Amino acid sequence: MKRWIALGSAILLIAILVAWWVNSRQPKPVVLIPTLTGKPEYCLTCHSDVPQISPSHPVKTFGCVICHGGVALALDANLAHSTLRGGANPSDLSVVQESCGGSNCHSGAAADHNNHIQRVMTSVQSTYAGAITNILYTFGAQSDLTAHYGIRVVRDSQVTTSTGVRSLEAFDPAKATNPAIQKFAANCLVCHINAQPMAGAQFARFTGCAACHTPTQTPVSSSEYGGNQRKKLIHTLTTAIPYTQCNTCHNKGNYDLRTMTFVQRSDQPLPNDRLHNYYQPIAQFTQCEYTLDCIDCHTRTEAMGDGDIHSNEAQIQNIRCKTCHGTPTQLPLTKRLTDPNDIAFRQALLNPVVNLQLGDTVLVTDQGEPLWNTRILPDGTYQLVGKATDEVFTFRPVMGSGCTQNGIDQSSAYCHTCHAVLR
Amino acid sequence: MRPNFFHHLHPPTIPAKQSRWRYTLGAGGTAIFLMLVLGVTGILEMFYYIPTPEQAAQSIQTISYLVPFGGLVRNLHFWAAQLFLIVTAVHLVRVVFTGSYAPARRFNYLLGLALFVFAILLDFTGYILRWDQGIQWALIVGTNLIKTIPLIGNLLYIMLTGGTQPGLATLIRFYTWHIFGLALVAIILTVWHAFRVRRDGGIAVPPPHLRTDKERITRYELVRREVLAMLFSGAALILLAAFVPAPIAGPITDINAMSGEARAPWFFLWVQQMLKWGDPFVWGVLVPLIILVVLALIPYILPKPTNPELGKWFPRSNRFAQIVLAIIALLIIVLTIFGSLPAS
Repeated sequence: MKRWIALGSAILLIAILVAWWVNSRQPKPVVLIPTLTGKPEYCLTCHSDVPQISPSHPVKTFGCVICHGGVALALDANLAHSTLRGGANPSDLSVVQESCGGSNCHSGAAADHNNHIQRVMTSVQSTYAGAITNILYTFGAQSDLTAHYGIRVVRDSQVTTSTGVRSLEAFDPAKATNPAIQKFAANCLVCHINAQPMAGAQFARFTGCAACHTPTQTPVSSSEYGGNQRKKLIHTLTTAIPYTQCNTCHNKGNYDLRTMTFVQRSDQPLPNDRLHNYYQPIAQFTQCEYTLDCIDCHTRTEAMGDGDIHSNEAQIQNIRCKTCHGTPTQLPLTKRLTDPNDIAFRQALLNPVVNLQLGDTVLVTDQGEPLWNTRILPDGTYQLVGKATDEVFTFRPVMGSGCTQNGIDQSSAYCHTCHAVLR
Repeated sequence: MRPNFFHHLHPPTIPAKQSRWRYTLGAGGTAIFLMLVLGVTGILEMFYYIPTPEQAAQSIQTISYLVPFGGLVRNLHFWAAQLFLIVTAVHLVRVVFTGSYAPARRFNYLLGLALFVFAILLDFTGYILRWDQGIQWALIVGTNLIKTIPLIGNLLYIMLTGGTQPGLATLIRFYTWHIFGLALVAIILTVWHAFRVRRDGGIAVPPPHLRTDKERITRYELVRREVLAMLFSGAALILLAAFVPAPIAGPITDINAMSGEARAPWFFLWVQQMLKWGDPFVWGVLVPLIILVVLALIPYILPKPTNPELGKWFPRSNRFAQIVLAIIALLIIVLTIFGSLPAS
C-alpha cells in the first residue's frame, strides 16, 4: 500500500507540474485602457504588431474594441473574435453605424458635413441607384429616369438639392419579369461599395468605408510617386487614397448590355506603368487625368455623396475640366479662405500635403466646394499638390491660351479632342 | 498508532470484501473529495466573480485570462462539477445494483437521491452564472419551462427569475441559490448522509450469522485507500483542467436575441431531446419528475433485497429494481447521445 501511495503522490506531483507548465505557457495579457472607454482590453497581447490605424484614431485613445467590437478580455482567439463587428472590417455598411457612428464621430453631428455615414448610405456608390434606374428604364420597367430602387431601402428626411430623392425601396430581383433585368439582377448587383469584390487580386478591397479609405492596392511605378509611395498597409484609414484603390472598381472593364455581363479590360495582365495602367485601352484621357490621382480633383462630395439620394452619377459629378482651367472667356472659380472653420482647413489637417493658411485663395467647384489642395500663385498660374503623392503640379488657365473651344460645351469629350494623350 | 481526526471519521474496522474497489467503485468517497475541490475552487472564484449581467461574463474572462492560475481554478471547478454528477450517478447505480438501500438504509437512500438532485441543480445554476451567449438558450428555455406548470407556473417563474424576463434579479437569485440555497445545504446533507452511513450500520453486509467471509480491514487501511483514491482522482482532475478549458463564450448583448447555440448543458440534453416529442410541460417537467418519484419509491414499493444477498453485486431478490433503474439509465444515456449529435 505504501508503494501505491508513493506512486499516487508522484503522479499527483507530476500532474501539478504539468498544470504549472501549461499555465506558464498561457500568454500574459497586455492591458490597454483607452481613454475614450476607460475599460481594459487585452487585444494587444496578440496584436501588438498592428500599426496604428491613423493619426486621427490614436490607439491609446480609441483602443480596438470601440471600433472592432470583440470580447475585450478574452485571450482565446475564437472567443475574442466571436463578437467582432463585420469580421475584420467594422466599416462594412451593415455595422458601420455601431462601429464608426455617433455624434462625436461620423454620424449624427450637428454639422451636416460630418455625417459621413448618412452621406455614404445615400450616395450612388452605395445605393447603386444609377445603374438600377437606367436598366429599369431602358428595359421598360419604369417610365422615368428618377431613382425608385436601390440595393437596400434608403430614406432621406432632408432633401437639399434639386435632384435629391426622398427614398429608395430595395430593388427586388424576384419581381423582374424582363429577362435582361433578371440577368442584370443576377450579374450586376455586386458593383457597389458594400459588395464583396470580384475574385482576383486586382479587385481586392474591403467593403464600406474601408473600400476606399483602406488602400489594399500598391500604386504601380513607384518612382513616379517621388519616393513617397504609400506602403500596402491593411490596418490603415487614410484620406490620401491612390488611384489604384479607386481602380479596384473603376477602369477595370466594361459591362456588356447585350449579355448583361462584365467584360474585363483587354490588357491583362495590367501594364506596369501609370500611363497604361490607369485607364483601360479604349479610354481617352489627358495628361492630368493619369498623372494626378482621382482624388486630386474629385471631391469628397462626389465620392461620398452630399447627403441626398441621387438618381445617377451625373447628378453628383461636379468636377469638370473647367473647374481648374476655366474657359477661354472665364477664369476658374476661386475662393479666398477667410473662415478658420472652413472645411478646407479640416481636410488639409487630415491629409497635410499642403500648409493651408488663412487668406489663401483656392479653386472651388460650381457648388462652392473648395479644392483645398490647390492655390492660385502670384503670377496667375495655379498649383495643385497630389493628395496621395505630395507631388506639386502647376497649370495655367485656358483664358489667354490659343484654345478656341466654345465656353458652353465644356464636357471632357471636347477637351479630349485636342488634349488626349497618345499611348 | 493513535487514530487521528481523519481516522476517527471512519469506523474502527469494516468488512474487507465490501471495501474493495470492485464493490464500492470508490464512488461515494470520490464524490466527497470532488465536493471539497468544488468548495475550495468555488470560494476562490467568488473573490473575482461579479454577479451582474453586465459584468458576469467579463469577470469570468478576467478569472480565465488575467488572474494567476485563475483559468486553472475555474477549469478545476468546472471539471470537478461534471465529474461530481457522473460519480454520484455511478454511486446511485451501485447502491441499487447491490441492493444497498434495503431497510435501515432507506432514508439514507432518499438523502442520497436528494443530494443527486442538488448536484444537478448546482451544475445548472453554476452553468447559468457564466451569463454568456453559451448559456442564453438554456436559460430562456429552462426558465420558460417553469411557466408551463399549471396553476403555479407563472408564480414560480417570477420567484425564480425575479421579473418577467431574465435580468439582474435572475442572476443574483441563481448566484444565491448556487452558493447558499444549494451548495451550503448540500454540504449539510452530505454530512448527514455520511453520518447515516455509520448510524445505519456501515456498509451494507449480511447480518453476522449469515456472513461467510468475516475478514475485516482497519480504519488505517481504509484511510490509506481513500488517500490513494484522492491522489489518483486529483491527478486526473488537474490534468483534465490543465488541458481542457471550461466552456466560455462572448457576453450576452440582448437577453432575448437567442444568439447563442440552441443546446442545453450536457446533463439536460436528454430533457431537451424529449421536448421535441411534444407538450413541454409533460416532457420537460412531468416526465423528469415521474422518473425522480420512481427512483425515490424504489426502496419502498419494489421487492426488497434479502439479507443473505446483501454486500454483493446483482442480488436476485431486487432484480426488478435493478431492471427499472437500468431502463431509466439506458434511456437517459441514449437520449443524451441523440441530443449531443449535431442538429441536422
